[in-house]
Amino acid sequence: MTLRTGVWHGAGTATYGAHMTVIEVAGAHKSYRRRGKAPEKALDGLDLVVATGGVHGFLGPNGSGKTTTIRILLGLVRADAGELRLLGQPVPQALPQVIGGVGALVETPLFFPAFSGRLNLRLLADTAGVTATRVEECLELVGLRDRADDRFRGYSLGMKQRLGIAAALLKSPRLLVLDEPSNGLDPAGIREVRELVRRLGSDGSTTVFLSSHLLAEIEQVRDAVSILARGRCVATGPVSQVLAGGAAGDLRVRVPDQRRAAHALTAAGFTVSEVDGALQVHGADDPADVVRALVAQDLYLTELSPVTADLESVFLDLTRQQP
Amino acid sequence: MTTDLAPPTGPYGAAAASRRPSLARAEVRRITSRRFVRVLLLVALAGYALFVGIAAATEFGRTTPDQVAAAEGRLDEAVAQQERARQLCLADPGRPRDVPPEQVCGPETPAGAFRVSDFLDRQPFVLADQLPDGAAGAAGVTAVLAFLLGATYVGAEWSSRAMVALLFWEPRRVRVMAVKLGVLVAGAALLAVVAQLLWWGTAAVMASRLGTTGPLPSGFYPDLLGRQGRAVVLTVLTSLLGFGLSNLVRNTGAALGVGFLWLAFVENVVRSLRPSWQQWLLSDNAAALMSDGAYRIQLPDSGGGRGRELALSNLHGGLVLGGVAAVIVGVGVLLFARRDLH
Repeated sequence: MTLRTGVWHGAGTATYGAHMTVIEVAGAHKSYRRRGKAPEKALDGLDLVVATGGVHGFLGPNGSGKTTTIRILLGLVRADAGELRLLGQPVPQALPQVIGGVGALVETPLFFPAFSGRLNLRLLADTAGVTATRVEECLELVGLRDRADDRFRGYSLGMKQRLGIAAALLKSPRLLVLDEPSNGLDPAGIREVRELVRRLGSDGSTTVFLSSHLLAEIEQVRDAVSILARGRCVATGPVSQVLAGGAAGDLRVRVPDQRRAAHALTAAGFTVSEVDGALQVHGADDPADVVRALVAQDLYLTELSPVTADLESVFLDLTRQQP
Repeated sequence: MTTDLAPPTGPYGAAAASRRPSLARAEVRRITSRRFVRVLLLVALAGYALFVGIAAATEFGRTTPDQVAAAEGRLDEAVAQQERARQLCLADPGRPRDVPPEQVCGPETPAGAFRVSDFLDRQPFVLADQLPDGAAGAAGVTAVLAFLLGATYVGAEWSSRAMVALLFWEPRRVRVMAVKLGVLVAGAALLAVVAQLLWWGTAAVMASRLGTTGPLPSGFYPDLLGRQGRAVVLTVLTSLLGFGLSNLVRNTGAALGVGFLWLAFVENVVRSLRPSWQQWLLSDNAAALMSDGAYRIQLPDSGGGRGRELALSNLHGGLVLGGVAAVIVGVGVLLFARRDLH
């Protein structure tokens, strides 16, 4: 399968067509030095563009560089090379000017364990000049108002995560960065966060950049998606385009003698695998080539259909292919 | 989650903030909300009240003329007894003749070798003596408290990683540190000033009830204010040392351990192995900063002679402590500004 990186950045511009962008990353490299070992490459020439509005899924297996990308964008980690822009401004240089429009929850929420949820939010609110009313709104928003005076250390994992989301929302951000926001949430909590993300993404003012290794989480809320593998963006664009690219050339084939058919197709240069009792032929540009190869061996089709890829198979294919 | 989640209603971004952003206000709220800080200050206050109460009940008290006369009688008797013993020694035929008699039997007891107060069961609280001494003692206590406060202030932020979360709101790292240091310096100075005022008030009450408020020697108040000013400087510097150390090792417990190890072990080893280096030790320079006049260190002579004396001024003490604090804090801030944070 060949999916070109950057479905949407063919023109190499900083916009998606008519859309402005909230995140632009070009050629980002980052290696972590490790004592006594070779440096670990976290980002290897990452290119990424996130357009304004909607929910942009940021998908990749653990260790693919998602959190590093977010940390670099938020100024916690310095890139070795590359250009990055947040809300149209270069970062980290202009981060102080744009940070007021960015809310973030990166991995686990970081709060004082001995302080109450409310006090933790008020400390952050003081820093940004956010009103106490807004703090209460956000607590209400995540369903923590009744437990707001309990200590953070006594919260369940899900409550901690919700407080982290409340903190990210305090600034009413134009860009909301959520890194694995469903960590620790129960199924009901996951569903409600998904609803929140969906609504935020559709309110016309907020762009949600949702990073996750959970395909289901991304699949249900995303408008666009970028897939990372080994520090590189291996696919990006609207989900429909990514899925179409992922399915390109894959055919489902059924014949009475599947073993012989598999040999025949392999001999003809196709890559074949068995899926759910049928043969799946990968990378077939023209279905007629498949029919021809089988008929030449006196094998007659009972089924020939294009395979519609889901995000999971695209994701697995793309991330497996990387060297 | 029990409630329906709804997206925030605008305004967005900077427009959502209708108050003036204040990192300093957040830091003041953060440090004053810490339970450890509150407990530490309450325990210190309770310890102070206990100490003063015990001292007032057992050490100090107004004396009657009869008690003073009896004490003077005991003083005269002690002087006479010492002189009788010296005369017996001088008359001893077995006394070595090749050694000066003063070296064997001691010198004649000088006038003022004993004080009447030494022979009183409860001494009067003399403001002129006790107030400056107590000011130095209070400086020691606030210096230790400030070290703990400085260490826990930033150490707790590292252990909870709230320091990283703060950067999502204020990404200028040097500014974050500068505000924290400013709040710490102001807090430590306030602590020292309050402690000195508290002691001054306590001493005035004790002197009026258990002793005497006068007469005061000339230059008493300038000297006292100078000492109290140096107490504030010492407290601020130790708070910076605690903060800097904790910021470097990113853990309160480790910082306190390093501090204890340094004072209890390293400095004593240096004193015994390299006595001349004492002039650079933290505890000696803290004492020098607080001393009236020069702080003297007796250095042994390697040849077995009388050795020599090192005199450390207040300025020397302040500069050494300040220099060490500046280096420790500076390196910590530099690393914080440059390092990747996870």
